[in-house]
Amino acid sequence: MIAPISALGKRGTRWLSRFGALARFLWDTLIAWRSLPRAGRRVVRRVFLTQVWFTAIQAIPLIVVLSGILSFLVISQAVRELGRIGATELIGSLMVIAIVRELGPLLTALIVAGRSGTAIAAELATNRVMGEIDALDGMGIDPVHYLVLPRFLGAIVSVFGLIILFDVVAVLAGLAAAVANGMASPRYFDIVLESLSFRDIWLSAAKGVIFGIVIGTVPAFHGLRAGKAATQVPVAASQAVVVSIVAIFLFSAIFVALS
Amino acid sequence: MVPAPLVFVDVPLNGSEAPTVTLEIPPHRAVSVVGGENSGVHLMGRLALGLITPKAGHLTVLGKELATLPRQELLAYRRLVGYLPAGDGLLQNLTLGQNVALPLSFGSDFSEGEIESRLDIMLAAAGLANAGHLRPAQANDEQRRRAALARALAFDPKLVVLEDPFVGLTDRASRSILETARGGEIEEGSRRTVFVVGSSLPASVIRRFEIRYRLIHGVLQQEG
Repeated sequence: MIAPISALGKRGTRWLSRFGALARFLWDTLIAWRSLPRAGRRVVRRVFLTQVWFTAIQAIPLIVVLSGILSFLVISQAVRELGRIGATELIGSLMVIAIVRELGPLLTALIVAGRSGTAIAAELATNRVMGEIDALDGMGIDPVHYLVLPRFLGAIVSVFGLIILFDVVAVLAGLAAAVANGMASPRYFDIVLESLSFRDIWLSAAKGVIFGIVIGTVPAFHGLRAGKAATQVPVAASQAVVVSIVAIFLFSAIFVALS
Repeated sequence: MVPAPLVFVDVPLNGSEAPTVTLEIPPHRAVSVVGGENSGVHLMGRLALGLITPKAGHLTVLGKELATLPRQELLAYRRLVGYLPAGDGLLQNLTLGQNVALPLSFGSDFSEGEIESRLDIMLAAAGLANAGHLRPAQANDEQRRRAALARALAFDPKLVVLEDPFVGLTDRASRSILETARGGEIEEGSRRTVFVVGSSLPASVIRRFEIRYRLIHGVLQQEG
């Protein structure tokens, strides 16, 4: 009788301890800029730009295609079905609430977590396995400064930028869908802009920052915690992407509950 | 009298219950400690850099006890010590040249141009003048080890700690690595202090160490 409770307690303690370590890691990353040597800033800037290149710039075609197709399909269906009951003005709410506010940030974050989150975790785990983390530490270079901070900032900027791109492409693809289904473009813009409030833009941007923090922290945390065996690399990558996805959905739910 | 750059006093290597090690590395000397896989000898390099904290005893590096230093001070202090980790520890996504330049880019106020000039000199001194553009995966063992050593010597440290630096190298390359670490053929009093830990030493370099120890069952025994 005691054994299952004990096992549950142990598992709970382990999760709590891991969560505490993750929170501490996030805090260390947030305050890392203060202790970054002046000379190190140019190196961090270079790694940051590389990270933005891989995470944001290279993901642009994927985001454009997915956002465009999703929005085109949803708005095409909506114009047709809502047109039958004379409620086409509802496509504005559909576009703003469903796509710009919810699906845009969520899908963008999931894409970045899948593409770049796994890459960050695998790269840092490989750094650990190859002894590169110890070598950096031994040279007096804090791995958080050199490896984590630029990826963290790169993830925030990338997710934020890609969400804006997703939303812009979604609105434009929605326009194409509406026009293809007989709606005049000025009317489409009137409906969408009428439904769009500053709060929607603010919420979308806030999600960009929070999801960016998740993708910049969780994979780096799992990558650096990997053991020294090569088999730890895929384990770290898989854990990182699972925890990131769960965290993204959790924060998405929190945003809905709070808004 | 110049103080010993590296001093272990009653430091256990394999847990707090293990026998403790007391060792003083004199200045301008090449000192080696070899031992078996589980002897704890491989921890001595990491202890000397403060990468792990001794469970007991005292460890002084260039006059400071590393265990008492806050993290950022410890990082700055490590730049005074050259470190060549086992297996070289080169960053795989950088070229050999970028690896060598990394400590200068991160820990000095040199401009990009100054770093470039210094890098050329450092690569030439390490025998890598034509290999700076290679990634570690494209370079051979000797080139990688030379690059890792050049990186360790970037700030011209007084003390250099090398872990298994001769594994997989030819006799000629091993001698050359040791000589580069010591600062080349210069007068005795200005040679660097070199502390080598590892599983074994190749016969070609044994005589070049002034002091040699073997770690057996946690006890240091002087050899030679």
